[in-house]
This record gives sequence, C-alpha cells and structure tokens, in this order.
Amino acid sequence: MELNEFNRNGVATAGSGYFNSEQSLRLRRPPSHASNQNASPHFDWGRSSEGGEDEDEEEPRHVRELPMPFALRKAVRQVQQMRVPVASRRARRSRALKRFSSQAKNALALVTLWRKSIHKIGGHFGGGVQSYFVFLRFLVVLNFLSSLLIAGFVLIPAIVFNSLHLNTTIPEANLTGFEVCMVYDTSPNALTVFYTYFLDLLSGTGFMEYSYMFYGYYNNTMIVTSGFSYNIPLAYLLTASFYFIFCFICIIVRMGGVWRVAVTTGGGTVGGYSMLLFTGWDYGLQGDRATKLKQNNIRYQLQVDLEEERLQLKAKSLTLLQTVGTYALRTLLNLIVLALIGGAFAGIAFATQFSQTQEAQEGIVGLLLEYLPSIVITASNFVVPLLCDQIALLEKHSPSTTIILALLRAVFLRLVSLAVLLFTLWENITCYTDRSACSPCQYNHRIYQCWETRVGQEMYKLVLFDFLTTIVKLILVDFPRRMVVDNCSWSLVQWVGREEFLVPPNVLGLVYAQTVVWTGALFCPLLPLLNTIKFVIIFYCKKISLFQNCRPAARTFRSTSSNVVFFLVLLFGWSLATTVLIYSMAELHPSYGCGPFRFSVTMWSIVPNSFQGLSPTTKEFLRYIGSQAFSIPLLLLSCVVLCYVAALASVYGNSVALLKAQLKLEGRDKQFLVKQIEELTKKQGVPKHDRDPILRDPTPMAVDPMRASFRPTQNNYS
Amino acid sequence: MGGSASQLPKEQLAEYQELTFLSKQEILLAHKRFNELTKDERNPPTRVPMDKILALPELKSNPFRKRICHVFSTSEVKDGSLTFEDFLDLLSAFSDSATLEIKSHYAFRIFDFDDDGTLDGGDLEKLVNCLTGDTDDTRLTQEEMRQLITNILEESDIDKDGTVNLSEFQHVISRSPDFVSSFKIVL
Repeated sequence: MELNEFNRNGVATAGSGYFNSEQSLRLRRPPSHASNQNASPHFDWGRSSEGGEDEDEEEPRHVRELPMPFALRKAVRQVQQMRVPVASRRARRSRALKRFSSQAKNALALVTLWRKSIHKIGGHFGGGVQSYFVFLRFLVVLNFLSSLLIAGFVLIPAIVFNSLHLNTTIPEANLTGFEVCMVYDTSPNALTVFYTYFLDLLSGTGFMEYSYMFYGYYNNTMIVTSGFSYNIPLAYLLTASFYFIFCFICIIVRMGGVWRVAVTTGGGTVGGYSMLLFTGWDYGLQGDRATKLKQNNIRYQLQVDLEEERLQLKAKSLTLLQTVGTYALRTLLNLIVLALIGGAFAGIAFATQFSQTQEAQEGIVGLLLEYLPSIVITASNFVVPLLCDQIALLEKHSPSTTIILALLRAVFLRLVSLAVLLFTLWENITCYTDRSACSPCQYNHRIYQCWETRVGQEMYKLVLFDFLTTIVKLILVDFPRRMVVDNCSWSLVQWVGREEFLVPPNVLGLVYAQTVVWTGALFCPLLPLLNTIKFVIIFYCKKISLFQNCRPAARTFRSTSSNVVFFLVLLFGWSLATTVLIYSMAELHPSYGCGPFRFSVTMWSIVPNSFQGLSPTTKEFLRYIGSQAFSIPLLLLSCVVLCYVAALASVYGNSVALLKAQLKLEGRDKQFLVKQIEELTKKQGVPKHDRDPILRDPTPMAVDPMRASFRPTQNNYS
Repeated sequence: MGGSASQLPKEQLAEYQELTFLSKQEILLAHKRFNELTKDERNPPTRVPMDKILALPELKSNPFRKRICHVFSTSEVKDGSLTFEDFLDLLSAFSDSATLEIKSHYAFRIFDFDDDGTLDGGDLEKLVNCLTGDTDDTRLTQEEMRQLITNILEESDIDKDGTVNLSEFQHVISRSPDFVSSFKIVL
C-alpha cells in the first residue's frame, strides 16, 4: 500500500524526528470512524473514500483544518490526491453553494458598519463598553431603515403630489358649527428679525411649523388619477403602524440572537474566570500602550471578581442580627429612592403645566419657557441617579447586583418621567381641568389650534435638547476634566482621576432618546431621519471622547447578560410609545384645522372608511381573518408550536448535560486504562524505555495525535 | 523553500492557498514581510531566528510572542526560529477564516508553557502573569493567585485530575462567542 512506502521515505523537512514516530503511531491505530471530527483535529490516514460525496466536499477544507506543521499537511494532501475522488454532481453543487455562502458571509461582514472601530474599542476597553457601541449601531441602522420607510410611503408621495397639483378629492364632511375649530394660523410675520429663524429652528415653530417636518402640513387628500390611486391619510396611518411593528420585529430578532448567546455561555458568571483567562486576550492589539491598557483591564476585572467572591463568602457568614439589620436598612433606602423619584415626577408635571399654560413670550425668555419641561427632565435624570448611587453604596449589595439595580432605577425614572410629561400634555389637550374649553371641537382649540403639531414640537425639542446636552457635556466636562487630571498633580485631583466610561447611564440615554423618537414619529415624520443623524454624530463624539478622556472601567460588566437587559429596556420604551400611539389614534379627535385626518372622528376611523372601497372578495377575506372562526384555531396552533419548541429546548438542555457527564466519564476511563496498562506492563516486566509509544499518550482514540509530539522523550505516566 | 526567491511561483502560491486558510493577497503580503526580515543579509537563510520575528510590530508587544514562536517553530534545536512555511502556519492559524478547532488547539499549545500536554498550576500561573503584566506592581498577590487558580480548576477541570487537558480547554473555549474574533493576527 502506498502509505507504507510513504512512511519509509519519511517527511523530507526539518524536525522529521518526532513526526516520523507520529506517523507510525497513527498507522498502528485502526481507523476510528467514531471520532468526532469537530471536537478534535484528527486525520485518519487509512480511511477510504466510502463516504463519497460528503468527504469530497470537505476535503479541501479538511487538509487546512489539521493542526500539523506545514510539511505534514503537504504530505497528507499528496496522499489524498492519490485517491481518485468521486466528484458527483451533488457534491459539486453543494461545494459551490458552500463557497457562495462563505463568500456572502465575508462580504456581509465587510459591509457591517463601523466594524473595525467597534473591534478596536472592544480590544482596548472590554466587552461591556463594546456592547454599548454595538447597541448604538443597531439603533442607527433601525432608525435609518425606518426613515427610508417613512420617506418612501409618506414624504415623497406628499411632495410629489403637492408639486404636481394632481386632481385631488377631499372627502365630504358636515362641518356646520365647527368653524371656530378650523382656524389654523401659521403664516409667519412679514417682518422677522434674523435671530427668530434660529429660535424657530430650536423650537420647531415659525417657518418650521408649517413644513413637511410636522403633522400639520400634510393634507387629507386622496389622489385618483388614471389607474392609480393613493390615499394619503391611509398611507400616513398605516406607515406609522408598520413602523412600530417593524421596530418591534427588529428588536425581538436581535434580542433572540443575544439571548441565545447568553444562554449558551451560561449567563456569564459560570466559568467566568476560565473564560476570561483563556479567551480574554486580543491578539490584534499592537503597541505598548494598548497592551498595557488591556493588561490593566484584565487585572482590574480579576481583582474585582475575586473581591466580590470574598465578599459573598463573608456575607454568607453573617449572624442573624446583622442580616436583619441589613434588610431593614435596604427597605428604608428603597423608600427614600421611591420618594426621590416621586418628587422628580411632581416637578416634571408642574413644569409642563406651567409651560403649556403660559402666553407665548418673545426672545430668550420665551425659549427658556418652551424648554422648561426638557430642562427639568434632564436635571432630574442627572441628579436623582447620582443620589441613588450614593444610597446604593450604603446598601452593600455585590457589584453586579448594584449595577443592575442602578440600571432598573434609572430606567424607571427616565421613562416614567417622559410618561408624566406626555400625560400632562394630554390632560391639557383633552381639557381635564377645564371642561368648557373643549366644547365644540373635543380638544382645547384655544391653546392648541393644531394639537398634533404641538406634540410633535415637544418631542422635537426633547430630541434636540438631549443632543445638545450630550455634546455640551462632552465639551465642557469631559475634555477639561482630562486636561486638569493630566496637568495638575494635586492629590485630590488625582484621586478623582480620569473619567470612567460607565455603560448603564449611556445606554439609558440611548433608550430614552429612542423612546422619544418613537413617541413623536406619528406627529413629526422626519424625526427618525433626524435621530439617525444625531446617533451617528453621537457615535463619533463618544468614540473620540472614549479614547481621549477615559480610563478602563474598574468594575466588571458582563456584556452577554447585559445585552439582554438593554434590549428588554428598549422594549419597555417601545411599549410606552405604542401606548401613546394607540391612545392618540383611537381616542383623541384629530384637529379640524390641519393634518391628514381633518374630518375624521378619530385617526383610526379612516381605516374602516377605506375598507368600504375594497373589492367584495377582499372584504370577505379580511372579515374572515378578523372573525373568531380564524383566530381561535390560530391560537390553538400557536400553543401547539410553543409546546413543541419548549420540548425541543428541554431536550437540548438534557443533551448538553449528558455530554458534560460523558466528558467526565472519558477522563475517568483514561485513568482506568492507564492503571490497567501499567499493571500489565509491570507484570510482563518490560523496561520503561522500550514501552510502546502508545503509552506516551494513553488517551481515548478520538483525541488528537499531536499530543505525542509534546513529550517525545518523557514518559509522564510511568 | 520559498524564502529566498523574491517572487513566489504560481504553483507554490496555489499550494499555499490550498494548505492554509490564507487568501492570495495575504500569502503575498506574508512573503514580502518575511523577506524584509532578512533583506540586509547577503545570503538570507531559509530559517529566520526568533529575535527577528519578534521585531515584527504585530508581535512586538504581545505577551505570548515567545510562546507563539516556539509553538509554530519546526526547528530541531527548539530555538523558536521560523521558516517561511512555519510563518504561513502561524498566520493561517491566526487568520480570519481559521476554524475554532484550529485556533483552540494552538491556543492550548501556546498556554502550555512546559509543553507537557496539559495546563497545570504552573502553566496557569505563568498565563495569569502574562495577562496581567509580569512586573512587580502588576502581578496579583499570592493569595489572589491561589484563589484564582483554585477557581479555574474548579470551573474547567471536569475529570478532577488537577490539570486542564485539551478537551476541557476546548469545552471552555466553545462557550465563548468572542474567541474566534480575538484570536486574530492580521499583517
């Protein structure tokens, strides 16, 4: 057989010594078909090409996957080429398909936005900070796709139809007695000072108010030309609904992927140390500074983890009195935190009420008054978490619990303060306090001639203010802090030190900004586009600030489990925005003077009205889908699918446990075999150095042969 | 073989492409960089000594650079010197398209400081020192080191023999989603 010939000639490169013995070792073993190819790189010299098609398509990759030196791989390939492969059509097709899919994956990886930057951030600052930037990238892509959606179905048709002056039909409506509601005065003053343009830009009034930016500009027209009809109000409504559904699907899909990773890696704390040590080093780092930064990062992480473990052991050994005391203290502190948050809510409600009921004033005072709710929200979002952090120091939780608690408290504060703002707005619009103001129009037409545009303006102002605060904080706080720390050697300054990039507050900022955009998207269609631009600018600013001003975090942050928390929090914001959307669409009466839903009772009523215009078969079909005859079987089917998937998940969990147990058993088999072999050889009286080379590596057949090369002359198991 | 010629012949290039995970551009770039290491010498040897390899910017600050050279070297005197093919082996194992099995196998060999086929306490301690910095003020204390190594062996030593063998190592690695992307050196 050609293999023996080959063996005799040996491998004609350097280091042939132990490679030869390795080959002979392999030849002695029978081909083990039970070897798990994926678990260990093991090449079977004696295997014939019975595997046929499967083997053919794996052969070119197979040679590369052997962990042997180059010369040996060349030899293996020559042996393989001596065997004539049976290249059937199926093999060729599946090989081409595999090549195509790998090329597609490579191309997709290249196209991924900011791939190199994010990888560099992960290498220098760790997975926690990297997860923030990955989350930011996800939001940028989401907003970009949403703005394309809105532009395609609402903005561009509106622009096209307005400029073409097509034949439009306006639906009939009986409007006697509602003339006072239809007043909508938007024409700007003829004489405007230059700086009012700037003020208008910041507050969304004036020239910006009656533009494509806000709801009020769109008409409730239906274009019917030859063979083409486009119902703008319906398009507006359905685009807004579909935008929400699209965002929901994207979040769920992404969260599913992240959750899968978190589950397979066992939640992070299990195997944390080994994982950090074996996989923690980034081999792409170049330069002494980057290496030292990474080494510091790893050392901090290890020290904090070890300290947390010591604290946990200590906490377990507390006496009963001490534990009772700790729990009593924690309850008290939680009450204080709740009181703080309640106080913040009261402040926001009052500020919104005050700002809405004031007369419009000129200049800077007017601007300040308009921005008062935003200012109060931002101030409370800054002050209250700071106080909560100080309180958390007294609570004496473990570091990871503290971080999660801080995240949840800040989420609660931020999103519910936004809800309070919206609730106050809605109170004013629907005349909760002053019933008479709403008599003809069912909304407060005295203050709000076009209330949707007003809500859109509030959201626009929130977005803009949040953006300005971030940029100003970067310029006025982070950069000066670094300069002071670098150039001033007072001990107090050095104790404060460089800033640390804290991930939870930054993620909350993103979630808050995204929730505001979702809430305002119905009333301000260009808001997702603005948000895309805003997030892109924030990405670059935060990245620059990170590398210039920040030191690596001293606290650990498990990126895999925290990714799931980020998406859960985002989903919470989404549900808040959906509540707002559904309430506005279904309950509130649209303004008479502006917007595409001028003469409808509610925004949603346009859908049943358009329903009448469909063909009879479509009507029947849609009626059937909405009826119980369809939805109950659908529900039962979903339950069955759910049970199946749950059963599958438990089966996989069982097989993981079984495989782990098998791994343990293999180790025990190894020790047993070693003992047996030792006893046998002792009985036969064979001297040590003559013992069969297989003794050098008494492992189960499936494990790789390269281990023999590790100890060519030693014999560890004698 | 292939280290002295200034141009790589086509069949050689094709063979390298098939036997490693590198693409054509990567192989040509590797060839260029490898030749630059010995360009000052009149008779460039086929086997480049370790200190020249360690001068490469990609390896210069890597705490595992000496181990990497030793692992991929096929030299009989075990001095860590690399031929061009060893160099390609190195780049192939650290490339983008190498499989998890190859990377975990070589990672295990790199971490096995005493080359005995398993990671025992001494190997783990040297590993930790490489990762945290091997100077006096960056090392962990004795107490912390002991606690850390006990934890690692408890987590990854499944058969409880006091060492981490290749399968146990690969079991830990397989649970990490970041390993393949961080075990990468690109010229």
